[in-house]
Amino acid sequence: MRTYILDLQKMSTEDGPGIRTTVFFKGCNLKCAWCHNPESIAFYRHIYWLEERCMGCQSCVSICPKKAITSENGIISIDARLCDFCMKCVEECPMNAIEVKGMETSVEELVKELMKDKAFYDASGGGVTLSGGEAVLNWEYLLPLLQQLKQRGVHTAVDTAGCYPFPILQKLLPYTDLILYDLKHIDNVLHNEFTGVENTLIFQNAARLGKLKSPKVWIRTPIIPGATDTKENIIGIAKFIKENMPDIERWELISFNNLAGQKYKLLGKEWQYKDVELLTRTKMESLCALAKKQVKKAMWSGATKSEVTL
Amino acid sequence: MGKVKQPKNLTPRIEWLRNYFFEGVSRPWNNEYKVFTTGEEHDEMYNELTYYIVPETYTFFGTFQNGLPQIARRIEIPDCFYGWSIAERRAWFVKEAMTKHVPLDILPGDLLCGANFNIFTSQCLTKKEKKRRDKALYGKDGLRAETIEFHDRGFGNCGATSGHLIPDYATILSKGFKYVIEQLDTSYESLSEKQRKGAAGAQLRAMKTAAEMPCELAKRYAARLKILAANEKDRVRKAELIQMSLNLEVVPFNPARDLWQAVQSLWLTHMLVMSDENYPGPGVSFGRLDQYLYPYYLKSVDQGMTEEFMKEILECMWVHCNTVYDAQIKVGANQGITAGFGQLFMISGIGDKGQDMTNELSYMLLDVIDDMSPILEPKPNVRLHKNSPDKLLKRIVEMIAESQGAPFLLNFDERSMAGLLREAKKSGCEDKINASNVWNYASVGCMENSMVGNDRSSTVDINLNLLKAVELTLVRGGELREYKDMLWNKPYPPKKHSEDTGDPTKFATFEEFYAAFEKHIRYIVRKIAELYDKSDCVRADFQPTPYLSLLIKGCIEKALDVTQGGAELRFITVEGVTFASTVDSLLAVKYLVYDKKVCTMAELIEALKNNWEGNEKLQAIAKNKAPKYGRDDDDADEMARKVMELWAEETWKYKTAATDAQLRPGMLSWNYWVGDGYVLPASPDGRKNGQFLSNAVCPCNGADTKGPTSNINSVGKALGGRTENGDYMDYINYLPNGASHTITLSPSLVRDDAHKDKLAAFLKAYTENGGTALQINILDVDTLIDAQKHPAEYRHLLVRVTGYNAYFTSIGRELQNEIIAREIHNKF
Repeated sequence: MRTYILDLQKMSTEDGPGIRTTVFFKGCNLKCAWCHNPESIAFYRHIYWLEERCMGCQSCVSICPKKAITSENGIISIDARLCDFCMKCVEECPMNAIEVKGMETSVEELVKELMKDKAFYDASGGGVTLSGGEAVLNWEYLLPLLQQLKQRGVHTAVDTAGCYPFPILQKLLPYTDLILYDLKHIDNVLHNEFTGVENTLIFQNAARLGKLKSPKVWIRTPIIPGATDTKENIIGIAKFIKENMPDIERWELISFNNLAGQKYKLLGKEWQYKDVELLTRTKMESLCALAKKQVKKAMWSGATKSEVTL
Repeated sequence: MGKVKQPKNLTPRIEWLRNYFFEGVSRPWNNEYKVFTTGEEHDEMYNELTYYIVPETYTFFGTFQNGLPQIARRIEIPDCFYGWSIAERRAWFVKEAMTKHVPLDILPGDLLCGANFNIFTSQCLTKKEKKRRDKALYGKDGLRAETIEFHDRGFGNCGATSGHLIPDYATILSKGFKYVIEQLDTSYESLSEKQRKGAAGAQLRAMKTAAEMPCELAKRYAARLKILAANEKDRVRKAELIQMSLNLEVVPFNPARDLWQAVQSLWLTHMLVMSDENYPGPGVSFGRLDQYLYPYYLKSVDQGMTEEFMKEILECMWVHCNTVYDAQIKVGANQGITAGFGQLFMISGIGDKGQDMTNELSYMLLDVIDDMSPILEPKPNVRLHKNSPDKLLKRIVEMIAESQGAPFLLNFDERSMAGLLREAKKSGCEDKINASNVWNYASVGCMENSMVGNDRSSTVDINLNLLKAVELTLVRGGELREYKDMLWNKPYPPKKHSEDTGDPTKFATFEEFYAAFEKHIRYIVRKIAELYDKSDCVRADFQPTPYLSLLIKGCIEKALDVTQGGAELRFITVEGVTFASTVDSLLAVKYLVYDKKVCTMAELIEALKNNWEGNEKLQAIAKNKAPKYGRDDDDADEMARKVMELWAEETWKYKTAATDAQLRPGMLSWNYWVGDGYVLPASPDGRKNGQFLSNAVCPCNGADTKGPTSNINSVGKALGGRTENGDYMDYINYLPNGASHTITLSPSLVRDDAHKDKLAAFLKAYTENGGTALQINILDVDTLIDAQKHPAEYRHLLVRVTGYNAYFTSIGRELQNEIIAREIHNKF
């Protein structure tokens, strides 16, 4: 399998302790209806055109060797079936209006880039977070990456949804300081309905992770209106954590945000959560209180109706 | 996002004084310029030379020149006046004005004396001297015309100006003017009879007169306070007035005995520098206030003075400092000067053994800043280093969070000290700046690093547009556009300036282009050094400041005025302006013409002549595809480092003729990069004429697409990074006078304790990878609205919510509006 990196987010303050660089990998085996990073789901690369950047010079149309790019009334269309990602249009476009999501980088190159912010990691207790998509599915790439980062004294975190045979994750654990583990829904049927997979393996793996002394674990639960925001769900996950993962360091309830509409549009898709309103602070606080009854380390973050954090 | 920061915890006394200050023009009292003349027809009071560095003022020269005599009051001069040297005349005249003609005002509740200090005084020149000076300035080939044309043609601006140094206040506090007068007498006695009759004797006599000024003024205030006390009915206030009177019977002639006397002594001594220079404060800085006031603080604590009262004393000084702005109270805020007057003081920093020097007074000063803000003066600058205590960092971050941006600048010791030690090596003054004293450095004005008490650190006198060298390279030493006289909009004839480095269209490699660029950098540094030298000569001839000379070590020993080279250390900073614009332009030339062959050199030059019009695609490639400084891209940053080293090295080659002052490099955050954007032609980085240039050491606006950490790493590398043979530890710093760096952070970084800790750590990491001085801004609604209007300049602006992030400019207008609406909603 080829490993594509979607993006590198420096000075990330939201994916683990301290100041971090988050590496987003492409490809996910879950298809969460609310996914905020839909461009990360496919294992293959995407190419798309950003209308607001385009100056209408037609360079892309004339450069494409496959004639995959056409223009009509100032609207550029790219035929994904013809595109072989030769990148000529991306290089040619003076406005960076054509983007390919998914780049190939060697582990060594990536490590070099990640080490540039070492001073910031060290001062803050931060490091590198591998996220996605489902980062763990790229375990063959992740293994040397994590090893090299550990060799250089970098704190490592892996953000995962946990839906794969446990031994894959096990290979990575010796080089991982922190696992950010998603538990989305306690109800198997609903989990399947919202994410496209059953939750059995995910919860089994979580329980196995809970038995290990290291690495540290943060559980993350996205609170999605009409999906995961029920009392039953929170109580259910809380009970599970209490029984199976008593030593976790943190349980984050992350409230839904509605900012991904544009990303879906670029992918030529409609997002079913486009017009869904944000949750209220009161709702988040009451769910969090519920969670705290069982799991003291529960907390909540994210956007609510009264605030979007910049 | 927050509301506008409000003052807090103020006592009724301070609240009244602060509010009174902000009443502005409607106040019955103010510190507006008071003008004094000898009454002779040839007498001149406005010294425009001081303002040659401020192009915005060029158009007002005539107004001031003609206006001041009309409001000037006459001071009767003695018969022997013109038998004295200029320095003696000035010393006598300023002293006469300050002690006998300026009213001794004391505001209700005020704990400090020293209110009216903004003055314009006679230049005290004979007709003959005046004629000689006029010729130098206003003659056909005079300095005024040359300075203006030099600026109009896009080179930059320069001129010998006042302020911008740190007087030796600590000695006055600990030993008093008594000690200074003793020194003067000793020095005078050591002169031969011949020397006494000559310039040295005259200078020391002038300084003696000047030294009597603060003592006599203190006496007069003391007497006035006694009268006020006698008439005061309120018992508490009466006691205060009596103590203030007693204080002024002690200081500044004698050493201060407690905090109240120390601050009184400091203020009176400080304000008279501004009177002496006829210059309301820019850059007359206090140095390490929390260090040299500390012994007096401890004494007052011992004597049982309450913390509240100590804060009130300091806060009274804050109010006094702000009255500098009264100078031009009726002609608009401050003549378009956007950065404030910059009476800077330092808090914290390391000590002689590398230990942290934060003390209780450091925290008290931070409390004072917090309670008084928003207020412009004095400007605080907190020194951070590897071992800065967590408590200090925490306090700083809290203040940043509350103010939506730092109410102070941050200075970083390791990189700063590396620069000063480099300066010592380069200028051969390692006996005066070395490992045993460099830790005691402080900043001047905004963030310009300097030694304290012995350093005539002229930190803003030369501002050089580095980008001019790119233009000269492209047109063989000539001009890419028609330059105009800004005042009359009249075109200048085209001119060949620098040497002909050959036809750039024939350069086969970028290395050839760069070699030509190097020659033109050498030319522009030489050119501005020569022009500056002329103004330094005029100042040395006609503009002595004998009072200030008392406060700068070296002047008494050498019997030489500070304007004539009396200070132990003498530096003139060449502030490099348009740095990133220059680096990005070179990167663009390399990318467009040589690496990618997007266009020929001839096509590029043609496009620039046409201000990119008709070449929008090429311009877009220059802007969006060529590499840029500020992204932690090693190749681009190496170009930045190379350019930095090149121009910085060039400055060390020059010293002034009149004062033997060493030129040195720095990058100040002033506003020339805005105005000169209209002067300089289009540049290869994709910038059009009329668009802003880059600011100080910062990357070009919007070029830092990889976020703040990458931006910081680039700045550190451009300054020389860290190597085995560092100037201090392993740090290199090409810019001893400092590098102003501004970063805008998102409010999410200060939204809760966990994130505030991250910001504190971010500052710690800056000491490792960053530059010398950092201003932190926190993004606000106005910025978002601007980002919506000018997306190209805000590509780096991230919207973050847990588990999600996207660039603000790419999320679509509707969502942008929604975010802005929510922010505005939160604001109220």
